[in-house]
This record gives sequence, C-alpha cells and structure tokens, in this order.
Amino acid sequence: MIRRLASQYGINYATTIVYMLQSTEYQVRPYLAWYRRVDNFGKVMKRRKFAKTMAARILRAGMVCGMLFQIGLAILLFLFGSSKDELVLQALGILIALASPQVWARMIIIPLWAGKKLITEPKHQKQIKASERIFRDHPGVKIAVLGSYGKTTMKELLVTVLSEEKVVAATPANKNVAISHAIFASKLKGDEEVLVIEYGEGAPGDIDRFASITHPDLAVITGLAPAHLDQYPTFEAAAQDIFSIDQFVGPKEVFVNSEPEAVKPYLRDEFVKYNSSSIGDWQVSDVSASITATSFSLNNGKDTLKIQSGLLGEHQVGPLAAVAVIAHKLGVSKKAIEIGLAKTTAFEHRLQPRQLHGGWILDDTYNGNIEGIRAGLKLLSNLKAKRKIYVTPGLVDQGVETERVHQEMGQAIAQAQPDVVVLMQNSVTGYIKAGMERAGFNGEIRIEEDPLEFYTNIEHFIAAGDIVLMQNDWTDNYN
Amino acid sequence: MKTIAVIFGGKSTEHDVSIITALASVIKPLELTKQFRVEAIYIAKDGSWYWDDRLKDISLYRSDEINDFVQKAPKVHLLFDEGLTLVKSSQFAGRKQYKRIDVVFPAMHGTHGEDGELMGVLQMASVPYVGCDMASSAVAMDKVLSKLIAQSQGLATPKFVHFKRSEYSRNMTETLERINKELTYPLFVKPAHLGSSIGITKVKTKDELNNAIEVALHYDDKALVEESVENLVEVTLPIMGNEEPIPALLEQPLLKSDEFFDFDTKYMQGGKKGGGKKGGSESGAQGYSKIPADLPKDLYDKAVELGLSVYKAVGCEGFARIDMLINGKTKELFFNEINPMPGSLYSHNWNKAGVSNVQLVTKLVEYAEARFRDQQKMATAFTTNYLKQF
Repeated sequence: MIRRLASQYGINYATTIVYMLQSTEYQVRPYLAWYRRVDNFGKVMKRRKFAKTMAARILRAGMVCGMLFQIGLAILLFLFGSSKDELVLQALGILIALASPQVWARMIIIPLWAGKKLITEPKHQKQIKASERIFRDHPGVKIAVLGSYGKTTMKELLVTVLSEEKVVAATPANKNVAISHAIFASKLKGDEEVLVIEYGEGAPGDIDRFASITHPDLAVITGLAPAHLDQYPTFEAAAQDIFSIDQFVGPKEVFVNSEPEAVKPYLRDEFVKYNSSSIGDWQVSDVSASITATSFSLNNGKDTLKIQSGLLGEHQVGPLAAVAVIAHKLGVSKKAIEIGLAKTTAFEHRLQPRQLHGGWILDDTYNGNIEGIRAGLKLLSNLKAKRKIYVTPGLVDQGVETERVHQEMGQAIAQAQPDVVVLMQNSVTGYIKAGMERAGFNGEIRIEEDPLEFYTNIEHFIAAGDIVLMQNDWTDNYN
Repeated sequence: MKTIAVIFGGKSTEHDVSIITALASVIKPLELTKQFRVEAIYIAKDGSWYWDDRLKDISLYRSDEINDFVQKAPKVHLLFDEGLTLVKSSQFAGRKQYKRIDVVFPAMHGTHGEDGELMGVLQMASVPYVGCDMASSAVAMDKVLSKLIAQSQGLATPKFVHFKRSEYSRNMTETLERINKELTYPLFVKPAHLGSSIGITKVKTKDELNNAIEVALHYDDKALVEESVENLVEVTLPIMGNEEPIPALLEQPLLKSDEFFDFDTKYMQGGKKGGGKKGGSESGAQGYSKIPADLPKDLYDKAVELGLSVYKAVGCEGFARIDMLINGKTKELFFNEINPMPGSLYSHNWNKAGVSNVQLVTKLVEYAEARFRDQQKMATAFTTNYLKQF
C-alpha cells in the first residue's frame, strides 16, 4: 500500500499511466482494473516501451498539465489557509496536492470516453450499418469462424485450402469485431466466391450482433474453454452466446469441434461434429504426429484423402479434417484439398517449431486457453526427447475460474511429465504448483521473476535432444 | 548463494576474445542458474585488476568507454585469508568494500591467464577455481612440453624441432640446418605458447623458413617447427571432468587442404574461410566446422580415445579442448595441441552434445569444487624440530 502510494509521485508516473492505457488499447474497464491492481507504478513498464504516438503525447501532456494545475490550486489554498490561520484549509491544500496523481489517473479517461461516445462510436455505427448491406448482397459463401480458441488457425486453414480453387477473402489477422468486419466489407470487390469471417466474442450478445450483420451461410465452432470471463458473467453465458450461431445458419450448417469436454452439453444431433477420429461420415485413420508434421487419412466409403500438414499435434487432426470436408462440400477437388493442406505450416507462436543448438523449441505463446494447453502438453508427452522443458506463465482472463483452471493446468503438466517446469512468478503460480504437487510431479520446478529475461536467454537453457514447450505469454497489463 | 568471480581480459593478445568468452559464455549462464552471485573481475591490458558490476556490460568495451573506466575506477586488491576476498576502495569516506569469493571462474586466454600463472595465484589463495590447474595449464600452453609428454606416453605427434629465441640468435645457421635435416617440408612454424593461431606460418620452401621463425619468435621466446600433416583433416575434441573425463563431440573444422585457421578466420570472419557454411545443422558456433566430424566410426573412436589419453596424460581437470590432425589418405592420427580454455568454452559443441550453457557452467563449477575438496584432504604441514636447532 505504502509502495503503491509512494510510486505515484515518481517522475514517470504520467508516462506509466498513458502506457497502461496503450497496453489496454484505450479500453476504460481493463485500464481501471489494472490501475487498481498495480502495486508499484515504477515497475509497470517491463515488457514493452511507451509508444510516443501523437495521441499518447497529448494525453501525457494533458495529464501533466492537469496535475500541475491541481497542485497550483492546492498551493494557493494552503497559502490562503496560512494567511488566515485556518488549519483545515492548509490540510485541505496538502490533501488536494497529494491526491493529484490519483485524480488525474481517472480524469484522463474523460477525453477518451467523450471521444469514443461523440466521435468514434457514431462513425463506427455508420460503417457497420453500411457493411450489413454489403454482406447481405454479397454472392459468396460466408463462413463464420467462432469459438474460445483456434479461430485464427481455422480461418487461415480455410483460406489456404479453399484458395487452391476458389477466390477467397478473409478478415485479416485477429481482427474479429464488428468494426473489423465493416472495414473488411468495404474492401470487398464482389467477385469473391468465399468469405471467411472470424468472430471475436468478448461480451454477451456479440455473436448475435456479428451474425445479424455478416449473414453467414455456414459456421465453424472451433472450441470452448473459459475465456473473456471478465466480461461474460459465467462460462455458460459465453457458451450459449457462441452456440446461438445455429439460429442464423441452421444446425446442419454448424461444424463443431466436439473434442473438448466443455462443448459436449451444447452439442445437437444435427451439428456436423469433428474430432481426431471422425467428421460427419468421414473417418480418420493412420494418425502420425511428429515435431515437424502431422499426417492422417480421411475415408468416406470409396473417397479417401491423404492429409499431411505442418501443423503439430493430434489435436490438429480434427480442424484439418473439418477444413478438408468443408472444402469438399464447397466443391474443391480432392487433389487441391491435399495440396492445400500440405502447404499449411504452424502459425506464428502457435505450436511453431524452431530448432536451436540441436534442440527444439515449440513456441505456443499465443495459446491462451486450457484446452490448447492440454493439447500442447499431450504433444509434448508423446514426443521423444532427452530432456523436456515446459514453460508457462499461466492463463489470463479466467475470471472466477482462475483457481480451478490453473489447478487443472498443474495436473495436466504433471501428467505430461516434463523434466523441468519453468513458471513465471505471478498471481496464478501457486495454483499451478498446487495442481502439479497434487498430481505427484517430481521433476524440477523453476520460478522466474522476470519472464522476459528467461525468454531472451532461452538459448542458454537448451541443448541437443531437448524439447522446450513455451505456452502462453503474460503481458504487463495482466500483472 | 555462492559467489563466483569470473576473471577475464588480461595482458594477452587474446584479451578481446577473453571478454567475449566471459560475458557471453560464462557470466550470463552463471547468472541464469540463479544459484550464484557473479562478480566480474576485469584485467586490463596493462595488467591492472578491476571489479565492478558495470564490467558485465558488453557496450562498455564496444564503445571504448573501458578506457575511461580504467582511468577512474579503483583497482581491486586480493586478500588471501584462508580463501580469496576481493577488496576495493568505495571512493566514499575511505571505506573499503570486501567480497568473499567461493569459486573463481577464469575466462582468460593466452599468456598470463591460460598458461597457469593465474591458477598459481588461485592455488595460493586456496580458493576453488574452474579448469585445469597450474601445472597442466602450463604444460598445455607449451606446445613443446605437451608434445613431449604425449610422446612419452606413446601418443603420436608430428615430427618436430624446438628451440629458444636466444639459442636461435646464437646458432641460427645450425638450427636451420638441423630443421632441414630432420624434417620434411612443408612445415609449420609456431610460437610455443600462443593460442588462436597467432604467429603461425606454413612454410613450403627453405627460403621461407627464417622469416617464419622470426615471426614466431616475435611473439614468443620459444618456437616449434613441425612437419605438416598432408591431406589434412583437422579435428578437435572438447572434454570436461576430473578423474573420469567426458568427451563432447569430435568437431571437424572445414578448410581447404593447404589452409589452417588463423586468428582473422577464427574470430573476425566468422570462420568463412575454407568454404564452411555459416550456421546450419552441421556447423559449429562460428559456422566453420562439422559436428560431429564426418569420419569413419573406427577413426572417430580412435580420435576420441587419443583426445582422452592426452587429457589424462597432461593431467587436465575441469575442462580443455584437444586438437588432433589426421592424414586423410593414410588415416594416421596425431595429437596437435591442447587448449585449456577454449574460446566461448566451445559451448556450441557441448550444446550439440546435449549440454546446455547453463548445465555446462554449473558442471564446471561442480568439478572445481570437487577438486578443491580432494585437495583439502591432503596434509600441507609437517612438524619437525628443524627450527629448534637454530
């Protein structure tokens, strides 16, 4: 408490506050939640630096001016109190001066809020409304990709395979909210045969809103796991939101990853369910997963597809099979499907293999959910290595599920039996350790105070025969 | 937490290489273990000792700020009080700063560091230290002595002639005649004590010999002239351990048949000479070697055996690198030289052998402590009545 108070009077306080706003993408609620959590404002900026954009500079200058103005007023009040021998006024002056950092950390939100309400939101609403007409009139097949995880991978897989024989457009990177959809729509030429649209649900009602505007013909639900629980009241609420997509496309046009346990209560018979053993009438066989590739066969009567992909892990079999069947359904030839899937490689920071000093690093630092964690650990468990090292800071955005999820994670880590587990010191470390201990983990545990130092020096920890699996990342705004 | 002093720099032609070894391959991995507090001790080119945390930062040396530093910083003193303590003036009210050292990690190359001098000081201080001891370092760094010891154990070396500078000055003609009589060209002329291929010349005719010897004797007071191994396949073997040494992988520098690796090739060009690929799964850290060496299994095994035999014969402990020469046609294998402090600890090779940098430095500290414990068991005092007679 004292450290928090004292650190508010540091010379870089205003920069820190604007950095926090930048890191939370100028979203008021996450910023305020982080602001309340900070123990020492002098140690907030670790992973990144303050980006000196025009907006950031104006905000910082505004904050500094505001604080100075408040301190000036406080001094005047103090001097006035002194001249009148009014102790109360003097004390009030001191109090007002001391409160200036706290006051302006909140006051800074006002221009943001006003700008958002008065300028950004009306402009976005207009763009979104216009996009609804574009999507409605577009002749292409519109595929919605949604779920708690695996969306970007699924989208990229669909684009890679369908592009072999179709004109395809997709929402870029992880731009997956309504305004991103609107910007995407504004750039369409109209000759696209397939549109792949990623839905990034973040709050109740999001899926309904996205689908009403983009008019999907087909949907792929990639998985379900606790996520964004800071916005959704419960996990069930998030799940119901995601599965509400069937009202727009019809249940027979919903492809669902049925592998995760969490999905099972929401499955309907009409859905096309996919997992590592089947998809609809297609059966998976001859699965082989190594550190550089995954391969399997897909059979439906006389139809056979030989699938090979650079995506790693048996958990990728289901999504790869789903993409193959969707492409087949949309008229892509079997040969093109095989060629397209053979071109797929691990996406950046998603179980992406990299060789170093003769060892392998599996970079899965964009993996932020328990199902993805389990999948990576299963792969680690199945691979042969002289020494297995597992690195994680834990998961963010787990809300009320935080303790349970991390204890489960600890148990999953113990079951994968790595030789060394490297945890990053933060609020969930204890839960992971407890889960590991409960599951009888008897390897070495290292707790790192500074994750960045560990990541940048990984070359000193790895040697030939080692496999290092690094899962998820923990940026400053989650500290 | 144990305190480890890493000593680097030094009055040596390999001063700069030593800084890289210390900062990149020793201090950083030691700190990453989180088991040790690391103190950096820098020996300047004039031989003065400095101790400061700022010495761990490579930018200090890259920007030449080091020259300002050594002018302003207090020099460090060594206190031998049943162990080693660093002492320096704090430059504040005459107070002194003390730091007890648990283990020393010398990261010195070449003269006054790798040749046993530093080890002698550490031995006197009664502090555990990493690497070969004083005697084996001195032998290892003397190409003549190490070859003589190897020969005494029946281990093959190329035929050679050796002489001191004074002897050559007095009897130049006789020495040249002796070389021409006993050895067959082409020859290599080498300073006896220097590493990193400094001062080495390949001589193909009699006319070039005197010049090459003068180059060697410019750097050293003892020179070695030896027959070149033709159809050369050069291999090197990093080894660590005390009583039961463990080999890393036999490494094969990639070079043309008539070339050898000079200082520039090794450290300045990233080893591009000789057609070596930079990076890639087959190459070493500097991109000029094949790991493991591309040799028939029986020859590979023989080379490893020879390396281990030399390591033991010379009495190496901790770690060292043994260089060997192979005639590619006749498959003859020769011991060439020992490097008791290989640049960057040859960690690229250990990495490929399955030992990470952190594991490597941790192991080396363990070997140092194990040797020290053994030495402590020895009696160092003997009571006599001798003094009472006076």
